[in-house]
Amino acid sequence: MRANSNLFWILGAFFWAADIAYVLWSIIDTGKPEWVGLVGMALTGVLSFFLAFYIGRTRSAQGGDVPQDRPDANVDDGDPEMGQFSPWSWWPFTLGLGLTLVFLGLAIGTWVSFFGGPLAAIAIVGWNYEYYRNNFAR
Amino acid sequence: MDNVSSTSLAPSSAPVINRPNVTQVGVIVWLGSEVMFFAGLFAIYFTLRSTSPGLWEHQTAKLEVPYALVNTLILVASSFTCQAGVFAAERLQARRTGSVLQFWKWGTVEWFYLTFAMGAVFVTGQVFEYANLVTEHVDFTGDSYGSAFYLTTGFHAMHVTGGLIAFLLTIGRIFAVKNFTHKEATTAIVVSYYWHFVDVVWIGLFLVIYVLK
Repeated sequence: MRANSNLFWILGAFFWAADIAYVLWSIIDTGKPEWVGLVGMALTGVLSFFLAFYIGRTRSAQGGDVPQDRPDANVDDGDPEMGQFSPWSWWPFTLGLGLTLVFLGLAIGTWVSFFGGPLAAIAIVGWNYEYYRNNFAR
Repeated sequence: MDNVSSTSLAPSSAPVINRPNVTQVGVIVWLGSEVMFFAGLFAIYFTLRSTSPGLWEHQTAKLEVPYALVNTLILVASSFTCQAGVFAAERLQARRTGSVLQFWKWGTVEWFYLTFAMGAVFVTGQVFEYANLVTEHVDFTGDSYGSAFYLTTGFHAMHVTGGLIAFLLTIGRIFAVKNFTHKEATTAIVVSYYWHFVDVVWIGLFLVIYVLK
């Protein structure tokens, strides 16, 4: 993950350098900065630095390199418990349907949104507590 | 066997490590995309500001900076109470061990309730601010300043509201289980990541809209 982190540091530096060049160029050309590119590139740099920082912190907290970063690791070294992943669920579909109605309502008539909103709210709660109910209650 | 990278006989030298939490890394990457969403809003604001400076001068004079500053301080303080809740989650302490007033013995639930209340005060404060500005003719469809102001602060307020719902869902998850485990702690931590992000975005918005004008 050191390589991942370094790539994002390099990307961030690149975007900030490109931003400076872009602003200077736009000032030379038109006499004032062009704001969309200025803000866009500056915050793309922020995005990159943010990820570089977090990945770097994650790496230093794990006390070593993950197996996929080590040439001498075996395949089954990278076979731990990865976390909980749902095998299937109807809730994402329900949420998608609810949000579809909300945004459809914004386009064709607000009354449609009032049917989509409650459906989306039910789906959010259902999705969040799917593995906290029934068989999964603990 | 020349084309096989390892065999079951080869002893591994890979050390035992604390593997990165995929949920936390995933949330951070998503927040990176949120940075770009707000980059678009900031770009809208700055572009319109540079094209109509006279309008900006006229409309920003109507902003009540001290009011917004108090609201900002409440939101910033809520990030600290949220982090206190995360520290409790990292101790796997769901509930308080002392009385209600002994906040140093609070668990995640108490800290998150307080954070929720502060976030709710912030959003409520913005609603009153909007109402006040509309009476002073800063309208969403009235001019480009109104559009930029309500788009940026409004999308931020929607994010705060989403965070408030996330706090309630997190508290509900803690109530739903008998034992507070690492899964609930992960939920609390990623919600705090989101909350800190929304807080930092507001600091940016406050500096741009109320200080820089």
